[in-house]
Amino acid sequence: MTQTRFLKSARIAAAGLAVGAMLLTGCAATGNKSGGTDAAANASAFLTIPREDMGTFVQNFNPFAPTVNPMVQQSIYESLLVFNPAQGNSVPWLATDWKAADDGKSITFTLRDGVKWSDGQPFVADDVAYTFELQKKLKGGYEYLDGVTAQGNKVTFNFNKPWSPALYDVGQLSILPKHIWSALADPEKDANAKPVGTGPYTEVDNFQAQSFVLKKNPNYWQPDKQKIAGIKMLAFAGNDGANLAAANGDVDWAPQYIPNIEKTFVSKDKDHRHYWFPPTGAMINWQLNTTKAPFNDGDVRKALSMAVDRDQVTKIGMSGYAQPADCTGLSGNYETWKNTQVKDNCTWTKHDVQQANDLLDKAGYPKGPDGKRTLKDGKPFEFKISVGATSSDWLSVANVISQNLAEVGVTAKVDSPDWAAVVAGYEKGDFDSGIVWSANDPSPYKYFNTTMGSASVKPVGTKASDNYHRFGDPKADALLSDFAAATDQSRQKDIANKLQEEYNDVAPVVPLFSGPEWGAYNDTRFTGWPTQDNPYATLSVRAPTTVLVLTSLEPRK
Amino acid sequence: MRFILRRLGFYLIAFWASITLNFLLPRFMPGDPVSRMFARSQDRMQPEQLEALRKLLGVDDRPIWEQYAGYLQNILTGQMGVSITRFPTPVTEVISSQIGWTLLLGGTALVIAAVVGNLLGILAAWRRGSALDSALPPVLVFIGSFPYFWLAMGALYLFGVVLGWFPIRHAFTDGLEPAFTAEFFGDVAAHLVLPALTIVLVSIGGWMLGMRNTMIATNSEDYITMAEAKGLRPGRIMLRYAARNAMLPSVTSFGMGLGFVVGGALLTEVVFAYPGVGYQLLNAVQGLDYPLMQGLFLTITAAVLLANFLVDILYVRLDPRVRSN
Repeated sequence: MTQTRFLKSARIAAAGLAVGAMLLTGCAATGNKSGGTDAAANASAFLTIPREDMGTFVQNFNPFAPTVNPMVQQSIYESLLVFNPAQGNSVPWLATDWKAADDGKSITFTLRDGVKWSDGQPFVADDVAYTFELQKKLKGGYEYLDGVTAQGNKVTFNFNKPWSPALYDVGQLSILPKHIWSALADPEKDANAKPVGTGPYTEVDNFQAQSFVLKKNPNYWQPDKQKIAGIKMLAFAGNDGANLAAANGDVDWAPQYIPNIEKTFVSKDKDHRHYWFPPTGAMINWQLNTTKAPFNDGDVRKALSMAVDRDQVTKIGMSGYAQPADCTGLSGNYETWKNTQVKDNCTWTKHDVQQANDLLDKAGYPKGPDGKRTLKDGKPFEFKISVGATSSDWLSVANVISQNLAEVGVTAKVDSPDWAAVVAGYEKGDFDSGIVWSANDPSPYKYFNTTMGSASVKPVGTKASDNYHRFGDPKADALLSDFAAATDQSRQKDIANKLQEEYNDVAPVVPLFSGPEWGAYNDTRFTGWPTQDNPYATLSVRAPTTVLVLTSLEPRK
Repeated sequence: MRFILRRLGFYLIAFWASITLNFLLPRFMPGDPVSRMFARSQDRMQPEQLEALRKLLGVDDRPIWEQYAGYLQNILTGQMGVSITRFPTPVTEVISSQIGWTLLLGGTALVIAAVVGNLLGILAAWRRGSALDSALPPVLVFIGSFPYFWLAMGALYLFGVVLGWFPIRHAFTDGLEPAFTAEFFGDVAAHLVLPALTIVLVSIGGWMLGMRNTMIATNSEDYITMAEAKGLRPGRIMLRYAARNAMLPSVTSFGMGLGFVVGGALLTEVVFAYPGVGYQLLNAVQGLDYPLMQGLFLTITAAVLLANFLVDILYVRLDPRVRSN
C-alpha cells in the first residue's frame, strides 16, 4: 500500500467512524418523538437549571433509584407537608392538617381535596397508605411504623411506641400513585420513564443524554401557580462547567458551589444576579474517635475545640460562606430550637488558646521542652485528621485546624486518601478523627441521637453508618426517649433545651460550622425568588422546599 | 496463517488476564458501593435502608471465587449486570448510549492528529533545517506539554466565551432532537470543534516528532540515495520510498491510540461537558460501581486488544520481515 492510498483509506475510515458514531448516538437518542425545533424555539421559556454532578442523564424517574434524577422528588412527586428550614415552619401540602394522638402513638393527616394525579386520576388516601407499604417493603426503615390506615380523606400512621420524630419522617416522603405502581411487576427496577405525579411539572419532554425538560402537569391542583412553561435540566460533569454556564447567563438558577461568587457571578450583572447561602445545611463536625485515648476525655475534646479558630476555618476553608458553630451544636437549620442560655454562655467553641492550653495542662497532657505535648503514656500527642482527597474545601478546613492545634503543642496530620478509604475507616472505627456531615432534620432529635445516643453506637470493627465517633451518653438517652414520646411542641422544646445542656457538658463531637445551602439566581427571565427578606424557601434545588420555589416563580413581564 | 493463529492465542490469554485484573482491582479498593453512596448522599439517606439497598444492588458477601465464576459467565453471555450508580439502568445501556460520542470525539481527534502530524513530520524531515523543521516541532512540543486542563479551559474561554465562535458545552444544542438532517450534523460538528481541536493540539507534536525522527533515519538509507541517483521525482521518493518505510512505528501508535480512544477523554469531557464514557468511568470508580467499571474496562480491553490485533495483521502486509519470523 502506498502512502497516498494509505491516507485515502484513513480518510474513508475516519468518515466511516464519524458516521458510525452518529448512527449509534442518533439511534440511542431518537426514542422521544416531540417536535425538536419547537422545543428549541421555546427554550427561552423554560426555567433552566444545571446539575453539576451528573455528566449525563438516563431516562429513569424512579424515586427508589439510589442516584435519582434531578427534580423527581421536587417537581414530580409531592409530600404531605413541606418543612422550610429558612423560617422553621411547616407548609401544609398534600395534607391540609395533621394531629398527633395524645399518647403519641399515632398521627392523623387530613388530605387536601381536589388533588389529581397528572394522568387525571384522583389522589386518594389509599395512595398514601400504599406508598408507605411499598417504601417499607423495598427500602426498609420505619421500624416504629406499625401500619397505615386510610379512611375517607384521612390517613392515620400507627406506631409501636410513642414516636414524635415520625411527623417529618412520614410527612416528607414523596407520595406515589397506587394505580400505577401496584401494576408494576418490579417497581424497584422499573425505569418509570413516563412518571405520573401530583407535582407542578411532571411531563418529561425531549429527553436527551445531557438535557431534559419537564412540562406542566395538566391536572395540577393549583394551576394558578404554574406560571412557568417548564423546567429544563442541563448535565455537567463538574462544578466548572456549571459555573461557566452560570457566569455566562445561560442558566436561571445555580445551585452549585461558586467560588468568589461576588466577582465571578454577581459582578457581571448586579441588577439581576443574586445569591443567598442560608446556614440551614447540616452541622459540619470534627469527629474524634472516642474509643481511642485521649479522645475519650471530654476535657481534651473541649480543649482541642477551643484551639480551633472557627472564624479562620470558615473564612479560609469555606470562603466565608459558612457560619461558625456554637455550643448547642445545632446548625442554622434549628434556629428556633436553640437554647439561648447555652448559646450565650458558650465557652468551648470560642477560640481561646490560653484556655485550651490550661485545660490540656490540667487534664494531664503536659507540654515538653520542645513545646510539644505528650499523652499520659508518654507518647507524643499526635493524630490524623482524615478527609477525602476530592473535597478541597474540607481539606483546607483540616489544614487550618492542623495549624491551630500546633499553637497548643498538638500535632495533627491531614490525611487525604480517596473518600472510599476515609469512609471505610470511619465505618470500622479505626480512624483518629475526621470531618463529617451530621444528620439534618426538621427536629433536632436525629442530630442528638446520632452524636450522643447510645443506640447508634456500634463496637469498633462493626460497620457504623452514623455516630462514627462512637459516643453514647446514658443521660442523653433518657432525654432522647422523652423527646420521642413528647407530643406537644413546648414539651419538646424543653427537652431539646436539656439535650443542648448535656451536649454542652459532654462535647461528643467538635462542631465546626453550619453548612450553607448554596443558591444563586439570575432573575432576568423569572422573578419571585426566595431571599433573606422573603425566606419562604431556601434556594436549594434539591431540598423539599424546591417545590415552593417552583410554584412561586413567574416569567418577567 | 500460522502467525495469525499464534497471535490470536496470545490475545486470548491477554484478554483473560486483563478481565481477571478487571475483576480483582475494584475489589481491592476499600469500602463498598452502598457505604459510598451513603456517604455521598450527605445524609439524605436513612441508615436503616442500607441493608435493603445492599441486597437490591447485589453487593454480596459470596466467596470471591464464586463471584469470579459468575463474572466470567456473565462476560461470556454478554450480561454486564445493572449499574449501581445509575441503578436500575443496565450497564450495557449506560455504555451504549455514551460510547458513540466518545468514539466520535476521540476518533476524529486521533485521525486528524495522526494524519496532520505525520504529514508535517514527513515534510520536516524531507526539508531538514527549513523553517518548518526548526520552528514547528519545538512549538508543538511546547504546546503539548501544557497541562491539558489548562489549555482546554483557555480555549473554551477565548473561543467560546469571549469570542463566541463555538458553543461552550454539550455535544449538540440543548433542545435539539437528533435527526439525520444537515442542521443537526452541522450543530454536532460545531460542538466538536473545540474539544477535538484541543486534543489535536496537545497530541500532534508527538506524531510529528516521531515521524520526523524515523524519516531522518530512513533518508540516509542507501535506497534513497539510489532513488535519487535514478532521477525520480522528489515527491515520489519522499512518499513511496522514505515515508512508507518510516511509517511502521506510526501504524503501531495509531493502533494503540485507536484502542485508547474507547476509554474516553476524561478531562475533555469534564471541561466541555461533552458526553462520553470517560466521565462515566470516573464516576464508576468514585462510586465503587463494580458492574459499570467492569463493563467499561472490558470494552476498553477488548478495543485495545482488537486494535493491536488489526495492527499485527496490517504489519504482516506492510513489513515482510514479520512473516519470516
